[in-house]
Amino acid sequence: MKYVDEYRDAELGRALSTEIAAIAEPGRHYKIMEVCGGHTHAIYKHGIEDVLPPEIELVHGPGCPVCVIPMGRQDDALAIAERPEVIFTTFGDMMRVPSTRGSLLDASARGADVRMVYSPLDALKIARDNPDRQVVFFAIGFETTAPSTALTLLRARAEGITNFQLFANHVTIIPAIRAILDSPDLRLDGFIGPGHVSTVIGLRPYRFIARDFGRPVVVSGFEPLDVLQGVYLIMRQLAEGRSEVENQYTRVVREEGNPRAMQAIAETMELRTTFEWRGLGFISQSALKLRPEFAEWDAEQRYQVPGIRVADPKACQCGEVLKGVIKPWECKVFGTACTPERPIGTCMVSSEGACAAYYNYGRFSRRREPAATA
Amino acid sequence: MRVIRTGGEDGLADCVSEDGETAAVDLGLVDVVPGDAVLVHACVAIQRIEEPA
Repeated sequence: MKYVDEYRDAELGRALSTEIAAIAEPGRHYKIMEVCGGHTHAIYKHGIEDVLPPEIELVHGPGCPVCVIPMGRQDDALAIAERPEVIFTTFGDMMRVPSTRGSLLDASARGADVRMVYSPLDALKIARDNPDRQVVFFAIGFETTAPSTALTLLRARAEGITNFQLFANHVTIIPAIRAILDSPDLRLDGFIGPGHVSTVIGLRPYRFIARDFGRPVVVSGFEPLDVLQGVYLIMRQLAEGRSEVENQYTRVVREEGNPRAMQAIAETMELRTTFEWRGLGFISQSALKLRPEFAEWDAEQRYQVPGIRVADPKACQCGEVLKGVIKPWECKVFGTACTPERPIGTCMVSSEGACAAYYNYGRFSRRREPAATA
Repeated sequence: MRVIRTGGEDGLADCVSEDGETAAVDLGLVDVVPGDAVLVHACVAIQRIEEPA
């Protein structure tokens, strides 16, 4: 399959793995964070950790869009979905995320009209087809998905569709990375930058990581050879004492990103003063809301929602997993009380969540022996 | 996905994935022609994929 097979060549993978091992300093413990949930999924699916030398630890970051939505926002979503006039639409994963009153699937079982869609455009079509109902789309995701929401909103306005609203929960990746770098919990040596977010935002926003924190960033693709080459480029920078932003994913990511997509986002949305992230707490200017001129399509303007901060269930350690402080299998309820069929935390819901990825692809494998410390 | 035909229903383009699945995609954020490969998220193409010559 094009764009897949050529990036899954086992011989090339072995060669890259050998080169990575050759430049790893024996006894040093390298911690490299993959920011994006897509990378986490790829790493577990393809067993990439198993071909890395023991000195290298891959740490999973906060880049799973489903995982970072806090429980309070899920409660808000339920409050909107349970209104009799509303058809509530959302991506499939969000239907299974627990709130304090169950998931959206549970709400559906209680009689709420909750429908799974693949895109906001699907939700807009439902609005067109149901002019006597209010159709709300639960908009989540990073800069990768925000352009789709923005274009849909512009379509709704152009077509004069006013029975369509967005419950906006889009988040932006850079403030989350900064929060992790500022956190005393974690010492990281480098970052595998998010490939698809970078197609939109480009490479420039990552420069502060190299400049101010002295950490290499390599924006990488999602196939095994992409990830291995990303690790190799980070290790090469570390070996040569450099910290730069490099682009491994040149077939898709441009230096400037996609200015047209950024313009569509800027035209329709603006930064919130602050937003709560699961695990990371409140982060300034880290999420998007609709601009005032789009208030007519803003579900938060139209409907009263509880808007209350809700603590995660005590047993759930999604927060620590999202910050990279613990591995999924170190969570007390991983694979026992919390499984993909009956998730307690969001990291077990989405395929991009570290817990679900590990559960689905690696739950029978033993933990690697930690590298000897210097 | 690969662009098959532009100017379809609602101004969306017909695209096909490598495994033959078709979808209506908004191409408003990229400059592409039929035959080009695009990266699609939530039914919107967010970048054209560079193909080796």
